Amino acid sequence: MMTTAGASLTSVTEEHYAEPSFWRQYVFSTDHKTIAKQYLALALFWSVVGGLTAHIVRWQLAWPAGTRLGHRLLTPDAYNAMVTMHGTIMVFFVAMPLLLGAFGNFCIPLMIGARDMAFPRLNMLSVWTFFLSSLVLLASFFVPGGAAASGWTAYAPLSSVPAYTAAVLGQDLWILAVALEFASFLMGGINFLTTPLTLRAPGMSLWRLPLLVWYEACASLLFLLSVGPLVAGAVMLLLDRLVGTGFYLPARGGDPLLWEHLFWFFGHPEVYVVALPGFGIMLEILPVFARKPIFGYRTIVISVLTAAGLSLIVWAHHMFVSGMDPRLAAPFSVTTILISVPFVIIVFAMVATLWGGAISLETPMLFALGGLASFILGGVTGIFLGSETTDIYLHATYFVVAHFHYTMFPVTFFAGFAGLYYWYPKMFGRMMNERLGKLHFWLTFILFNAVFIPLFVVGLAGTPRRVYAPAAYELFKPLQHFQVAATVATLLLLASQLPFVANFLLSMVRGRRAEKNPWRANTLEWTVESPPPHGNFAAPPVVRHGPYEYSVPGSRVDWMAQDQRFEPAQAAGGG
Amino acid sequence: MDTLATSPSDVAVEPDRIRAIPQGKVGVWWFLASEIMIFGGLIGSFILIRLAHGGWHAEADHVHWRIGALNTLVLLTSSLTMAWACDAVKERDQRALKTFLFLTMLLGLTFLGIKAFEYSWEISDGFTPATNLFFAFYFTLTGLHACHVLGGIVANTLLWLCAVRGRRWPMIQHRVEFAGLYWHFVDIVWIFLFPLVYLS
Amino acid sequence: MPELDENLRAARRADFRVWEYLLLLLVAGLVVFAAPIPKMGIVALIFAAAVAKAGLVVRNYMHLRHEHLLLYLIAFVPVLLFVGLTLTLLPDIALRQ
Repeated sequence: MMTTAGASLTSVTEEHYAEPSFWRQYVFSTDHKTIAKQYLALALFWSVVGGLTAHIVRWQLAWPAGTRLGHRLLTPDAYNAMVTMHGTIMVFFVAMPLLLGAFGNFCIPLMIGARDMAFPRLNMLSVWTFFLSSLVLLASFFVPGGAAASGWTAYAPLSSVPAYTAAVLGQDLWILAVALEFASFLMGGINFLTTPLTLRAPGMSLWRLPLLVWYEACASLLFLLSVGPLVAGAVMLLLDRLVGTGFYLPARGGDPLLWEHLFWFFGHPEVYVVALPGFGIMLEILPVFARKPIFGYRTIVISVLTAAGLSLIVWAHHMFVSGMDPRLAAPFSVTTILISVPFVIIVFAMVATLWGGAISLETPMLFALGGLASFILGGVTGIFLGSETTDIYLHATYFVVAHFHYTMFPVTFFAGFAGLYYWYPKMFGRMMNERLGKLHFWLTFILFNAVFIPLFVVGLAGTPRRVYAPAAYELFKPLQHFQVAATVATLLLLASQLPFVANFLLSMVRGRRAEKNPWRANTLEWTVESPPPHGNFAAPPVVRHGPYEYSVPGSRVDWMAQDQRFEPAQAAGGG
Repeated sequence: MDTLATSPSDVAVEPDRIRAIPQGKVGVWWFLASEIMIFGGLIGSFILIRLAHGGWHAEADHVHWRIGALNTLVLLTSSLTMAWACDAVKERDQRALKTFLFLTMLLGLTFLGIKAFEYSWEISDGFTPATNLFFAFYFTLTGLHACHVLGGIVANTLLWLCAVRGRRWPMIQHRVEFAGLYWHFVDIVWIFLFPLVYLS
Repeated sequence: MPELDENLRAARRADFRVWEYLLLLLVAGLVVFAAPIPKMGIVALIFAAAVAKAGLVVRNYMHLRHEHLLLYLIAFVPVLLFVGLTLTLLPDIALRQ
């Protein structure tokens, strides 16, 4: 029974922790760990679909329809639909359920020493809403007219006038699916924001919180603050389509730029909503595999809060060439360049954490390091896009595509895989195969770079994005071998996920049984069984220090769980 | 600093005042924050486009400000009865709780009834969301608000049923307060919608 | 019991007084609406009345005057944010034509 002050009457009772039926345990569960796995399953399903859309898009670019190897059935409309769905799926249906839904739900209560989230039933409602949203989006592929084809950004009036694309019903379903997804993560966000505030174990002050908890909460806050205007905008978009209002139609007095502003006011913070949990995962893994404390914990926290705040005032750098008031361009360039400062501080802190550490390159560490390295390249290329002068040339070219894949892919997939390999023992009670993991990493890392470096090249040369057949233009014909190279690498990259799939599934039944703390890590989730029981902790742990006390001088062992006392090396009786 | 490896602290930290706030209250306020952003986005869009078109004074003449004022009175009074319901539940006065929750529901339904009458009047006059952009915003703003009023009425009805049956009496104290927060928020949105839509 | 009733009556009276102020502000707003002063003045005064009404409801009915700073922040940061968004978009959307 919870004895912490402020336990609300809506919190769970003892009955919650008795043995439930199959349906209540696996399908209609309010246990945050099960909900996390449900989000994980959905994210992994959608990553397969998203990968297939990428395959189709890349194939068309390398071998256009009509040529010998080209897809015979891929019309320009269908291509646009594939591009649209690739972006939509990866951002909303892979990155968010994986990084927030799965890792946030699994780790937050465990890391703060709580038995579950603050509102377990709301949590269950959130994952079921996400499931419903997934069904709606999946359905949109199969309705007459096909899936939405106006880009994941759904710019008006292409998206607001049904006659402009073939996807009449598909676009409506897209709006509905995304709206349901927003509702799901708003509900989840209420849990992520309330639980670390009110349900921390005794001794867990805010400055002793693991960084992942800070980052997940910060991401949820960003989402909550920025999605509202887009929800309003989406209501207006749907009304334009269904009722004939003219919110985004100049002929009716509306303004298409209003949609762009409302979309990007959310859209930019959204990429940090995705990036922050990815960073949080890296920040948890680096100290463990360097056996060193995090360098500059408070600085990192203040930096991420600053970055989050700044991210709310940079959005118009996506709109430099949209025709918006040019006087807005300079201020937004300034804020965009400024936002690189806190991120650089965080990256330096990560590097300083590694410096002088006893680094061991297990699979989670490899993915964390590979993700960090790739993100740095992505971040640096963002500077060219954040400054309006260079952006005028680079906007809507493949340079942008390469930039955001060098940021989004590392935080979603590298950090996501890092987290999966790291917390798999805790989630499923088994160890994954280390050799398959290393194979998976090296193939993914090398092939990921092989896909996107050619895209920097073709982008700098001016190849526009979202174009069905750039090879049809004389200007871009000489670049075609880069497109082919990127496509071949994409196919190999998709194939190289097979070791992970095999590892993930086989380890669940044949993996070595995991102990409580296979990584000798300090955070509280490693003090309980693998997997943790219902209710996580038999009694609330008492936290005695921060989460990164590794290699403390004079200590008996090189780690110290957050609820452990300091043990001097010359303790009587030895280890 | 207890996160550096120099002096691992062995002292548990005192519980801070944030942990003492009932978590349901924190949760409701986060929910309201997200709703503020939704309505704020819609209201902001309305203000911007209205200014772009020079104020829409001719179009705005066709809304019925007296009905809007009446509805404002209804909603303000419903906030009073809701506040009285919260007072009653704090003092465990079950009879008063039932009465005031019921009055709040009634006033909420009155608001919706007046709105429905107003909509039908405007539609029969030929003003639909597709007529012009002012009316598109009018119907969207007040329609979205009306949906929120309906949600509040449903929540209050469920609480009223709990109070009537006398069941779970100690448990509903917090929930009445949370429903109150939501209801007052819906009232505040209307407090701004009324002058924006009817009086400008 | 009598002590409880006294608390309850005091709370109810306080809430009723807030309602009276709200009503006053509503009537004042309608009077201003009909007043023969420039449009900008009307808009500003009516908006001020709305803010005052909202403030009364938030501080008294929603009890924010007695709550922790955190809840103030949760309530007001979004307000600042969407006001900021609207102001930022003024040059682009509102002042185009």
